[in-house]
Amino acid sequence: MEKASHLSVIVDLSPTQWHLSAQTSNQHPLSVETFLSQLLAFLNAHIASKHENSLVVFGALPGKSVMLYSPTELLSDDVPSLDANSYLPFKLVDSTVVQRIMNEFDAIGELKEEPPCALVGAVTKALCYINRITHPSSTTAGVAEDPSVIHDPRILILSVSPDLSSSYIPIMNAIFSAQKLKVTIDVCKVYGPDTVFLQQAAHLTNGSYIYLERRDALLQYLIMSFLSPTPIRKILAVPKQDKIDFRAACFCHKNIVDIGFVCSVCLSIFCQPLPVCSTCRTKFPINTLKRLNAARPTITPANSRIGLPLANLNNTASPRPTPTPPNGMSSLR
Amino acid sequence: MPVQSLQNTDVIVLQHAPHPLLPFLQSQSQTTLTRLYQRPSSCLSIFRLLGPIERQLIMNLLWLESALSAATMSAWVLPEGKNAYDSALSVMTGLHIAQNSTVKLALNPTFKSSLRQAITGGGNTGSFGVPADKDSKRQSANIENLDAYALERWETILHYMVSSGQGQNPAKPSQGVLYLLQRSGLMNNAHGAVLQITSSGFQFLLHSPHDQLWNLLLQYLHMAEERQMDLVEVLSFLFMLSTMDLGRVRQIQYDCEYSTEPLSETQKAMLEDLRDYGLVWQRKTSSKRFSPTRLATTLTSSSPPLPSSHSTGGSRTADGTGAVALSSGAAQQGFIVLETNYRIYAYTDNPLQTAVLNLFITMKYRFPNLVVGMLTRESVRKALGNGISADQIISYLTTHAHPQMRKNNPLLPVTVQDQIRLWELERNRLKSAEGYLYKDFASQADYEYVLAYAKQLDVVLWENAAKRCFFGTLEGHANVRGFIERRTESV
Repeated sequence: MEKASHLSVIVDLSPTQWHLSAQTSNQHPLSVETFLSQLLAFLNAHIASKHENSLVVFGALPGKSVMLYSPTELLSDDVPSLDANSYLPFKLVDSTVVQRIMNEFDAIGELKEEPPCALVGAVTKALCYINRITHPSSTTAGVAEDPSVIHDPRILILSVSPDLSSSYIPIMNAIFSAQKLKVTIDVCKVYGPDTVFLQQAAHLTNGSYIYLERRDALLQYLIMSFLSPTPIRKILAVPKQDKIDFRAACFCHKNIVDIGFVCSVCLSIFCQPLPVCSTCRTKFPINTLKRLNAARPTITPANSRIGLPLANLNNTASPRPTPTPPNGMSSLR
Repeated sequence: MPVQSLQNTDVIVLQHAPHPLLPFLQSQSQTTLTRLYQRPSSCLSIFRLLGPIERQLIMNLLWLESALSAATMSAWVLPEGKNAYDSALSVMTGLHIAQNSTVKLALNPTFKSSLRQAITGGGNTGSFGVPADKDSKRQSANIENLDAYALERWETILHYMVSSGQGQNPAKPSQGVLYLLQRSGLMNNAHGAVLQITSSGFQFLLHSPHDQLWNLLLQYLHMAEERQMDLVEVLSFLFMLSTMDLGRVRQIQYDCEYSTEPLSETQKAMLEDLRDYGLVWQRKTSSKRFSPTRLATTLTSSSPPLPSSHSTGGSRTADGTGAVALSSGAAQQGFIVLETNYRIYAYTDNPLQTAVLNLFITMKYRFPNLVVGMLTRESVRKALGNGISADQIISYLTTHAHPQMRKNNPLLPVTVQDQIRLWELERNRLKSAEGYLYKDFASQADYEYVLAYAKQLDVVLWENAAKRCFFGTLEGHANVRGFIERRTESV
């Protein structure tokens, strides 16, 4: 029997970015209203696919993340009345999501400076939700083949904001939890430059990262690439990125670095050689420091794209203890 | 990587058996189907009955205005998925959802616009059921009552079937239901006026409620064709019911009654039949409003169509919309513990479940909430004699295994499974075939000549050269006989 699938959608609702996205100077301007109407059609398509499919929607707003829709919790005050022309579950999703977003936008009000969007918060909430539904309470523990247990959880991030380098460590940690929970993270970059961290998130969880080129065809992109559950992706291919930016952010200044210096004990990443590791307090011999400083390139091309062969930091960013004695810092080179 | 470990389960997922309704739909004409596709609720329900690949393909095509060249779509197909993709396409063309062309791929325009309407809402087809006006005087039925009603109706039917051969007199379902049971070959009245359960009826009892329901509905559809009912109206009414709401969204309960006003005459007639099966509930037969029960609203899903039917599972949450709530429901369906010594402990006080178990076990003791029995050679042979197969017994025991049993791997003791299969094989030592015995051939040459001819036709079942006789099948007799006659004439 075919299993039900779960989808958590995370919508980046940064007012500034959406304002920029709607500017007519863009090649394909996309306003938040058009975006929402296409997104709702996509959400309905997911629920339409199977009666048991579950859906949760989170919003990443400036400074906070909120749950916009969940099948089990009542988030909006009014229950839509029956209507002969629409399927009730669809109507419920549509009205709840729209109403919640409107409320949140109203609550933002006039801000002097917009705090960055709490994308990590939303991802973490989505992971917690998935953890809750994939590990049902202890009363049903030991049930091997419960058909309603969700087998194929996915997270879809619709991102418009650029990378927030200060959130590198929390994002990586979220990715590792997702790997552990066997959650696929798909990313659709609706507006703005490519984000390094989300590319890595999609790559490490076997999801797909898509940069929306024709933004007027958002719905078609969403359906072709993100609607199919994992087993179907073995038959109908979904686009994967061919180039992944594996660069990491340094722990000291939160810059995305091309060349980093990694502590040999705890694998923390720094943009310059340090005498003492700020994470694990390991002291490094002065000779090594000198050597590394001499080896540093004079220009730090912080904004250049990948292409440098040394940038492969895949997976090394997780701080973990290693049995090797503290003997110095090693360059990634 | 997480995906690799999923590979074993994928095979199962993709070998998803087609829904029993699909062959029936495929046998319908294109005009019938196109009329059916005019209603968004029908499109949505049919869409849900399709396999996962068909659904993805439909979605891919749904929002395209022009046809897509077939090559473009097949470029998305991975080499190992080629067969699955081709069969999905043939299902779609068989249902006239996709237009039959090898060059271009496009959805049937009626289907496309209706499914779009279903997903975006709007239109004025009223295909999701027109809600009845609020009735302040009377309270509408709540979910518990609806569930109890559906369960009572359904179990009456099953209980009637299971006890028909045992001289008990359970409550009789209505005349319409009896006719349906008889028509579907689940029961017959071969021995006098009393209806008797047939071997396919016994098999039917061991299916899941979902299969049972569709089995009967399919039969109903066949009957509808003969009764000159408009098939499109019958089907669209069923599909409408399947998209209706039980009347509870999360914890809030609200009126979920639908009006009978917009229904056609055929559909009003159906309402009466479906009431007998427990799919819809009406306060009075003349009532202008009706409520669907869980049997109806789960028609296109795989969630359990009936609330857990034994009292130990009574705490099951009634909320069908929440996946979290649902996850605890299915586990409580199990009530059977089977031990390696062939003993069965069934924690149930439900007379129907007891009666079904009684089909293949020997009862030992009965307690208020527990039935103890043994799988014995006699009891299993009795079941096999009734036409139930060993696999059906095993699958029934598997699906209803107690949560405690689910810790075992394999679920059922292997010895017991093997023994049930051996008992089945035991019955197959003797094979019977109808045919003719040819003997008393005048000479060995004659015998061999005729035998060679019969062997050519592949109709020989047994031969004995020493006695100069052989046994041929019924079908081959005319030929063999003609051959012998021609030969005797020519001599």
